[in-house]
Amino acid sequence: MPEVSKMKKPDVKVVILGDTSVGKTSLLHRYTERKFRDTISTVGGAFYLKQWGPYNISIWDTAGREQFHGLGSMYCRGAAAIILTYDVTNWQSLAEIEERFLSLTDTANNDCIYAIVGNKADLTDPQAQLTVATDGLTDDQGEGGEQRMKLQVPPACPTPPASPASPSSLLKQVGHDEATALYGRILRYKGLDEKSSLPADRMCFETSAKTGYNVDALFETLFDLVLPSILRKRNENQWSPTVDLEDYREANGKRRGCC
Amino acid sequence: MSVKAFELVPAVERDLLMGDKARINVECLECCGKHLYVGTNDCFVHHFLLEEVPSPKGRIAYVAQKLQQKYLGLKKPVAELRAASALERLIVLCDGVLFLVDMATLETVPSATGSGGARIKGVTSFCMNGNPVNADPFCVEIAVISSRRRTVQVYTVFEDRVQLVKEVTTTEQPSVVSLDGYFLCLALASQYMILNYTTGASQDLFPYNSEERRPIVKRIGREEFLLAAPGGLGMFANAEGVSQRAPVNWSERVIGAAVCFPYVVALDQDFISIHSMLDQQLKQSLAFRDGHILQDFEGKVVLASTKAVYILVPLPLEQQIQDLLCGDRVEEALVLTEGAQPNIPRDRFQILHRRILQQAGFIQFGQLQFQEAQEYFRKGELDARELISLYPLLLPPTSSFTRCHPPLHPFADLNHLAQGDPGKVLRCKRFLISYLGTVRGTEASRVCREEVDTALLKLYAEQDHESLLDLLASDNTCLLADSAPWLEKHSKYFALGLLYRCNGQDSAALQLWIRVVDGELQDSTRPDLYEYIVDILTFCPDLDLVWRYSDWALKRDPKVGVQIFTKRSAGKDQSGQPKPDDVITYLEKHSHARLFYLEHLVLERRVQKEKFHSLLAVLYLEQVLSLLGGSRPPAPDQLSHARDRLQALLRESNLYRVQLLLDKMEGCDQLLLEQATLHGKLEDHGKALDILVHQLRDYGSAEAYCLWASSSSTSSSRQHLLHLLLDLYLDGGAGERAGDLEMAAVDLLNRHGDQFDAVRVLSVLPEGWSLQLLKPFLGRAVRASVHAGRTSRLALGLSRAENLQLLHDRLKERRKPILVSEKRGCHLCHNTFSCPDVVCLPGAVPVHTHCIAHRLSDSAPNTHADSAPDKHSTQNSNHT
Ligand SMILES: Nc1nc2c(ncn2[C@@H]2O[C@H](COP(=O)(O)OP(=O)(O)O)[C@@H](O)[C@H]2O)c(=O)[nH]1
Ligand SMILES: [Mg+2]
Repeated sequence: MPEVSKMKKPDVKVVILGDTSVGKTSLLHRYTERKFRDTISTVGGAFYLKQWGPYNISIWDTAGREQFHGLGSMYCRGAAAIILTYDVTNWQSLAEIEERFLSLTDTANNDCIYAIVGNKADLTDPQAQLTVATDGLTDDQGEGGEQRMKLQVPPACPTPPASPASPSSLLKQVGHDEATALYGRILRYKGLDEKSSLPADRMCFETSAKTGYNVDALFETLFDLVLPSILRKRNENQWSPTVDLEDYREANGKRRGCC
Repeated sequence: MSVKAFELVPAVERDLLMGDKARINVECLECCGKHLYVGTNDCFVHHFLLEEVPSPKGRIAYVAQKLQQKYLGLKKPVAELRAASALERLIVLCDGVLFLVDMATLETVPSATGSGGARIKGVTSFCMNGNPVNADPFCVEIAVISSRRRTVQVYTVFEDRVQLVKEVTTTEQPSVVSLDGYFLCLALASQYMILNYTTGASQDLFPYNSEERRPIVKRIGREEFLLAAPGGLGMFANAEGVSQRAPVNWSERVIGAAVCFPYVVALDQDFISIHSMLDQQLKQSLAFRDGHILQDFEGKVVLASTKAVYILVPLPLEQQIQDLLCGDRVEEALVLTEGAQPNIPRDRFQILHRRILQQAGFIQFGQLQFQEAQEYFRKGELDARELISLYPLLLPPTSSFTRCHPPLHPFADLNHLAQGDPGKVLRCKRFLISYLGTVRGTEASRVCREEVDTALLKLYAEQDHESLLDLLASDNTCLLADSAPWLEKHSKYFALGLLYRCNGQDSAALQLWIRVVDGELQDSTRPDLYEYIVDILTFCPDLDLVWRYSDWALKRDPKVGVQIFTKRSAGKDQSGQPKPDDVITYLEKHSHARLFYLEHLVLERRVQKEKFHSLLAVLYLEQVLSLLGGSRPPAPDQLSHARDRLQALLRESNLYRVQLLLDKMEGCDQLLLEQATLHGKLEDHGKALDILVHQLRDYGSAEAYCLWASSSSTSSSRQHLLHLLLDLYLDGGAGERAGDLEMAAVDLLNRHGDQFDAVRVLSVLPEGWSLQLLKPFLGRAVRASVHAGRTSRLALGLSRAENLQLLHDRLKERRKPILVSEKRGCHLCHNTFSCPDVVCLPGAVPVHTHCIAHRLSDSAPNTHADSAPDKHSTQNSNHT
């Protein structure tokens, strides 16, 4: 369905950062299209406008290219929430967050919210292998279909408890506690007090773009958390510079005087 | 595939500019209204009048007329040209010098004396403020990049002079500048930045190597810029340095860019690429050799190669949208439509938008994407008839509907769409059912209620859909003339009947249904159709109809059929209900039904009318007689059942004509019990008991008779009856029956000892009876007598006491004077007394004599009426 909101100026910005191939584009795609595709290339910045209540939230995906060209901090400027993504089967991807991406977030809003997301949880966690039924749509699951286990899904919780040792969990390179530790270091980097900030276990997610596991929970938790930021921004910018292109006629008229 | 959003139209051909002089190139452009100025590398400015002429096929063409050309005398290329139309000046940059030229004559404007003059030296580039901060319309603001190191200056330009407003320095050498309000957007050597020239606040945007690639800084609207970014991206940034729109993906070597909403147009050396700002997708790409300049002037995008000028004409939005729809690119078409909303007048937008949504719906429909189709139809407020008309025969021939023109879809009809695939046809039909179900009753479908309901009815009938009956049972506007043949075709006779009824044609409905019940027509919708018809007749207010069709119903099943009359409202308001007499006459032919009806009147509704009671009794009797007189002996329970009914009626009713029945039973000694009852009704108890005792010899019945016949009267009449019976027993005569009768007498006495007059009994009892035999009787009799004696004494005592009390009161009252005056009122009529003649009530209450007389004469019959009526006497009075 085309969204009327595509024409509207967003009220708030959410940016997804992370190493190449951790599944940033897949996460956004899963959330917006309720689907998983094996290969989607990120052209330019993938961008999606989400209507959340009366607000428009723009979600920005980034590709390695922009980060390489130094556009990352431009993307993050004015962001109200940043999703730092790693791949649970790849320890290096977690390290990259701290080494390469954290500095890009310097341009984000002061009250920016950070979420740490370990994607591809389906590869390590039996719970995350269950396809989340979304709006009755069928998922094109790819080859993953056979792996599905007949487990009772507990209601999606932001942080799945580490599963007992199972053959698949051997792949897991990043534990949940490492993510929460990183979250703590990020708060310190930002000079934020741990007590007055959002708690780590609320802001560290493990997701699977492939099965949809925890994906809605991730985005919706963030959207709810950025609402105060929207309200603040609206109040600040009563005469804000965020004016639509519709104004171009008027502006031209002024420029030309009485032509 | 892409959209055709723009068309490249030549504006000024090579001949008009440089002819065949190979070394002369276009350097810069300015377009102001119809005036086009072109600066060339040989220091000329060419002035054209550009006329838009419609060409065949609705396209636009441009005809350029050269007004003038002027050599500026500097031998260097004209680097930049900008028009300040309010000042009638062109601002020209040539050879590092910025100066003013008259727009009409192209003469250089001499500097005004005294002031700073009308030229600025050492300029590498400049721009105009798209959002001026100065309110004076007769000046313009410009920003200038100075060839002095790292300096940007802001000037105000007047008709004949320029005035420096501000000078700012930058960290690196700027190469391109754009100005909006106080915000300078600059391309520096290694990055872009935004700089507020009044506050000095700056914001770095992102790195960009300006030496490697040409930077682009394009103001696209208030405080928003489009920038060429590394990696071939077109990035947006606002004055705060925030990117609010997603970037577009250009090629690496973009020379110029502009926004022509909703598109971003970019030029590189070989192509014009057009991206949508709405979804960031590349929509069109046009080959353009030697591309050199791309600029937009008041929404008009002008391009130049080195030798000629072109205009990029946007195709009408509607055409673009239609192109997209032709390619089934529904979402893009909608995004484009909705994106253009701010640029289209409101009502026109609504019409356009609705139409696009409808078309989109039909595209999805054609692909059998019903869910999506329905959503589009709903949003587009589709006239449901557009959809119905796709299905052959669903629209009533009387409908005035014609399909929208131009058509919303390419389909002739459903068969065309489904290409003969019956599965598809079926799915489409199911969709229409659900679709019409949802639009039915909405405001939007009000104009076509009849068509919607009729189409639904036809589909339901054809698909054997359960909702057919719901539709007809609810308030509907199905067209009878069009629907009836359809329902007949599908053997939906029950439904057709309902439709007749909806149209007030109850008679037609009944006729049709009767044919179904009679098996003439086949429709198994309602196996209980017969009962259904009876029900309808039962509650039908139209008596004509009731008389007309009840006959059939009664013939089919009298017991059920008679409900037409028995189940009718028995409420107070019997107007509009058939009169029982008429019903009975009507039922003459249907004896069973008549009996049921009479039973209903007499036994259920307890109608107190002699005629009905007598008739029912006679009918019961006839039934019994016919059973008795039948050739074969009747089944015993059948007979006893018939007699029970008869007996019960004879006993309980007081209204039937007793003599009539007695006459009918004359000589029938099988019905002695009944005869006894009848005699009883005539108060001929001797005869009745005689029959019971002597003919029937049924002593139990005789005793029961006594109790029954006296059940509602005083004990003395019961005593009388019991004595009558006792006497019968005692003068039973001789023979072996005498013993029997004596035993019956003893039993009677012993059972009802307290009811007899003991003295009388003792006087008639035979001497020889033993005391032992009569012990229970005597015991009871004595106890009853003692009880009666004591009760009387008690009553006597109480009466005496009362009498004494009254005497005492009277004496007391006598001694008191009773005051009567004209001011006192009578207690009965409340009028005053006018004469001393008064009566005094107990308690010394004076009243008028006439008042008390009145009161007494009034209450006398009342007290009489209040006392319990003597049942016996009323019974008798009714027997004639
Ligand atoms: N098993 C699994 N694979 C994933 C998941 N998310 C992404 N992938 C795969 O990882 C690869 C990179 O994904 P992509 O979204 O392009 O990553 P990006 O570079 O961060 O945008 C693709 O091959 C995806 O199919 C996931 O949740 N589970
Ligand atoms: Mg990606």
